[in-house]
Amino acid sequence: MAALSEEVLLVVKRVRQRKQDGTLYLMAERIAWGPEGKDRFTVSHLYADIRCQKISPDGKAKIQLQLVLHTGESTNLHFSNESTALKDRDAAKDLLQQLLPKFKKRANKELEEKNRMLQEDPVLFQLYKDLVVCQVISAEEFWANRLSINNVDHSLSNNKQEVGISAAFLADIRPQTDGCNGLRYNLTSDIIESIFRTYPAVKQKYGENVPHNLTEKEFWTRFFQSHYFHRDRINTGLQDIFSECAKLDEKGLKSMVFQGVKNPMVDLLSLEDKSLEEGYGSNSTAPSTSNTNKTVKENSNSAIIKRFNHHSTMVLAALTLCMALCTIIMCFLSKMSCHFYVIEYEDLHRENGKKTVALNLKKSDRYSHGPVPLLPQQYTTSQDIVNSVNCIKHEIASYKPCLTQVMSSSTASSAIAALSPGGVLMQALAQQAINQMVPNDVQEEMKHLYTAAGELLRHFWSCFPVNTPFLEEKVVKMRSNLERFQMTKLRPFQEKVQRQYLSTNLTGHLEDMFQMAYNKFHAWQTRRMMRKT
Amino acid sequence: MVRAITALLNIEGLLVYFPYDYIYPEQYSYMLELKRTLDAKGHGVLEMPSGTGKTISLLSLIVAYQREYPLEVTKLIYCSRTVPEIEKVVEELRKLIEFYSKETGEKNNFLALALSSRKNLCVHPEVSSLRFGKEVDGKCHSLTASYIRAQRHSNPSLPSCRFYEEFDAMGKQVPLPAGVYNLDDMKDFGRRKGWCPYYLARYSILHANIIVYSYHYLLDPKIADLVSKELSKKSVVVFDEAHNIDNVCIDSMSVNITRRTLDRSQANVETLQNTILKIKETDSAKLKEEYRRLVEGLKEANVARETDIYMSNPVLPDEILQEAVPGSIRTAEHFVGFMKRFLEYLKSRLRIHHVVQESTPQFLKDIFEKVCIDRKPLRFCAERLRSLLRTLEIADIADFSAITLISNFATLVSTYSKGFTIIIEPFEDRTPTIANPVLHFSCMDPSIAIKPVFERFQSVIITSGTLSPLDIYPRILDFRPVTTASFTMTLARTCLCPLVVGRGNDQVAMTSKFETREDFAVIRNYGNLLLEMSAIVPDGIVAFFTSYTYMENIVASWYEQGILENVQRNKLIFIETPDAAETSMALEKYQEACENGRGAILLSVARGKVSEGIDFVHHFGRAVIMFGVPYVYTQSRILKARLEYLRDQFQIRENDFLTFDAMRHAAQCVGRAIRGKTDYGLMIFADKRYARADKRGKLPRWIQEHLTDSSLNLTIDETVQLSKHFLRQMAQPFKQEDQLGLSLLTLEQLQSEDMLQKIAQIAHQA
Repeated sequence: MAALSEEVLLVVKRVRQRKQDGTLYLMAERIAWGPEGKDRFTVSHLYADIRCQKISPDGKAKIQLQLVLHTGESTNLHFSNESTALKDRDAAKDLLQQLLPKFKKRANKELEEKNRMLQEDPVLFQLYKDLVVCQVISAEEFWANRLSINNVDHSLSNNKQEVGISAAFLADIRPQTDGCNGLRYNLTSDIIESIFRTYPAVKQKYGENVPHNLTEKEFWTRFFQSHYFHRDRINTGLQDIFSECAKLDEKGLKSMVFQGVKNPMVDLLSLEDKSLEEGYGSNSTAPSTSNTNKTVKENSNSAIIKRFNHHSTMVLAALTLCMALCTIIMCFLSKMSCHFYVIEYEDLHRENGKKTVALNLKKSDRYSHGPVPLLPQQYTTSQDIVNSVNCIKHEIASYKPCLTQVMSSSTASSAIAALSPGGVLMQALAQQAINQMVPNDVQEEMKHLYTAAGELLRHFWSCFPVNTPFLEEKVVKMRSNLERFQMTKLRPFQEKVQRQYLSTNLTGHLEDMFQMAYNKFHAWQTRRMMRKT
Repeated sequence: MVRAITALLNIEGLLVYFPYDYIYPEQYSYMLELKRTLDAKGHGVLEMPSGTGKTISLLSLIVAYQREYPLEVTKLIYCSRTVPEIEKVVEELRKLIEFYSKETGEKNNFLALALSSRKNLCVHPEVSSLRFGKEVDGKCHSLTASYIRAQRHSNPSLPSCRFYEEFDAMGKQVPLPAGVYNLDDMKDFGRRKGWCPYYLARYSILHANIIVYSYHYLLDPKIADLVSKELSKKSVVVFDEAHNIDNVCIDSMSVNITRRTLDRSQANVETLQNTILKIKETDSAKLKEEYRRLVEGLKEANVARETDIYMSNPVLPDEILQEAVPGSIRTAEHFVGFMKRFLEYLKSRLRIHHVVQESTPQFLKDIFEKVCIDRKPLRFCAERLRSLLRTLEIADIADFSAITLISNFATLVSTYSKGFTIIIEPFEDRTPTIANPVLHFSCMDPSIAIKPVFERFQSVIITSGTLSPLDIYPRILDFRPVTTASFTMTLARTCLCPLVVGRGNDQVAMTSKFETREDFAVIRNYGNLLLEMSAIVPDGIVAFFTSYTYMENIVASWYEQGILENVQRNKLIFIETPDAAETSMALEKYQEACENGRGAILLSVARGKVSEGIDFVHHFGRAVIMFGVPYVYTQSRILKARLEYLRDQFQIRENDFLTFDAMRHAAQCVGRAIRGKTDYGLMIFADKRYARADKRGKLPRWIQEHLTDSSLNLTIDETVQLSKHFLRQMAQPFKQEDQLGLSLLTLEQLQSEDMLQKIAQIAHQA
């Protein structure tokens, strides 16, 4: 049975569904219910499909749990074990409460992402309408390519982004007196998380003591009572389980201090070149007085100061992921560059504006007209080229103008006039004419056609070189998609254009593109056939 | 040729290469004044805000001067305070020299180098891995001292430093090739050649054109005597960041003697005695030789000083040079006996129950009456001990630091009848129950240490961002400057915003005055100010307190009141501690937090290490808050003695000096945030006393100018409003075009007549 391989988190017996007794199973991925005596589930919902759960009010006789699905359907579960019904229901409810949010996020994330992309990008949205809504290609195909583009940032957002810690999380627990000599601390799971990340020693203690020695509540009560939490109080109780934490923190701080700092500009130790020798100087009182005769008050004050430094450091360290990177960069930049940017007075330099790279086009006509169809042509070897160049050179060297057959100057100048802008032969090419000739809605539609066709062609061309069976399948499919597009979209448009008696061939280029794709497909297919035979 | 004209500045006939396309007007005025000082061969005091390119102006003018008049000025000695600053100066210099060779097209024959302690220059794999400067020095000495090396001749198995040996064998034959050598370049060069970079640098400074090193090499007589005494008289000396120079002078001449020092000296004397006995049995000729030398006296040094080769040393006064060492301490045993007696006397002086303060003549009289020690042999103590240590071939001088300290004290106390005071305290003021007697021999006259510098070198320039009021430095350092000038920062936009906050929103006056500083309302108001500012200022805020104990108390009570927790909602908090390593880490984390957008507050102390050496450029310090007026701890007896001396000797009133001292530190603190014209920052003076004319008037001119009457005695709310407005304005894009012609000039603009007039006008307001 498939269910056996799944991890069962909770089993609740005697749960009724549609007046039938049965057993409820909560598994890692889904919730399922099977009627008594049968070993299959009649009800099974993936957690991802569940929108929410509802429970019956406490006072009700029937103790029920309702699962509402995204589709709007719902399933009622009635816990009917008289003695433990309430407990059972609560156990199931609690577990669901923990599980549902996890799955909810996962399921919705993708949808959200798609939705967002469509909303943000009107062109994409149009494309979606053109291709998917008109069922040229399926939604999966459409997204398959899109999402992979975003894969890079997707993968980043995939592993849950680390949330930083508020520096003031301890302030949020501010105790309130409850009126009868007690204190109430507000503790949320966020704060606990923050405490653990900021003070790993506490986490360790928690792991050691909860739940074997102390309940969670006791643990936190002790924590708040401890000297560790109130650093300004003087350490009294030795049985305090947190006294060790303070030592661990101290150790951590010491080791950090010992490592020293990377940036020489802030290293106070190496700042002084030559310190005065011991005994010289006007206010160098002997260091022997450092610890011994400090008053208790002073000790606690310096403990507070240490604590603040430690706290801020740890909060900062909690942003490790991206910060690690930063520090590495800082290391690289270290000494030399430090001097470098310190001595530069940027405003004393002439600003030499950002240098941009000029687009260098060898063949500007190809840029404005798109690639010319590759006609089957004969390749020339470099030897051929060299030969022909030599040949031409030779020709030119021995060139003699044949003056008798030259055009008369008047015909020549009229030919030049006809070919210059404004001349007889150059009139039809004016771009403006098309702009004005074609109505706006046609232009608009054509734009859509272009984007849609471009998208399809992109899919098509991305299959080459075809080296996996999957791509093979796809390329075939894409060709049929192209054909379908041509039939359902391009043809009607052509007809419409014709109906409006627009003389110019607006769709020529589009057709060319399709034709080129077909040619390619054809070539590929024949080659494959040949290889097969 | 056309190109050359555009890169040249004409400073009253001197052509100066300036390695930038633009120049600030104040840089031009600064160079002008500097040139006049050099022409007059006199000393100068120049104040110009940091971030206006002081260093490059200084360097380009002096280098040009050196090239133009190679016989007038042969050397530039540039003294800075911290190692990073030294390196910064050398980098700017490198840029300048590169520009020179690019513009003139000829290879430069300039030699410029940085000198630092062994710790920063050593390349010996074992020695350089030691962490503390003192250890490095000691270890180096134990490998390279002359007699150690002599012993190695007979016993080659002794450890040696191959870098030093190589340098000694080869390094002195060919001078260091021309170029600019930073500390790392020296090390690289040393590694490549296998020569010791430290000794190479020390040797090379004698013929280098430019030396960059720290103050101590000129001001501390103990070091100056070793390193700098042979430097050419025709040098220009520049003390950069010199606002604290008087304290450096005083520190280098003051001595503290505790019981521990005496115990260690005692041990040293024992060792000396044993060594002498041993040597006497084996090699008595050596001691006789020393005796002969001592009879000869210090003639050699005397000749050198008279012929102007040596800089005089305040620990080695002129008179001793002419005399032979007195007979009573000429033999080694006698001298050791003499030192023993002196130590016993000092011990007896430390056994007291009340504070004693006396002048040096009183002390000498007392010592003569009690133990019959004369003034004369005391004066020779330092020199005599040095000679003995040399003769006895003691490897690690560091072990003998205690007895060296005592002998220096002996020489100083017997040489100077004025300018010093002796204070013996049986315990610290804060802990009257614990006996910890200290003898402070404290210098009160900074001019003593710096006098040889002023006397020897033809031009000494004292410069800093904060030297106001300018007239006080010549008075306390006792010299006559030919130029004193303060330059303001010409600004296209007012990028600094000084505000004096005098009251809380509850109208309670805010002040760190002693009587009210522990007042609950004052502390709360300070806290509210910090809280409000943390909410509106982007990135970094630096706050300074008047003293460490005050900061500790305030932080503790802010913690109790929950103020800091609320501040943490806005920014992370880092706090300076007395431990330098811890503070370094806090600083680094602070910068990290500013860098990643989290924002942070650094609580720090005026007069602390942070306030002296760390810059908070751009977003590292968008606001500086100065909580209170950083007066020095006035109850200290040493300070009282110094104030008295200043009053009697220089006619400087106590209050004037205290205010001057407090204000220069306050200006230092708030000036940390503005490091250039593209930078911007708030300067918040949180004490109502700043509004008074006597305080305000002592701020540097470039801050005073922007402190209008409307920004005095504000409440917290008003401050927040003004700050918000300022920050919004400053956050707008600021382009070079906005500055051009106002606070930034092209070199062509500099040539126009009316621009020069305008600049002169600005400069003459000073």
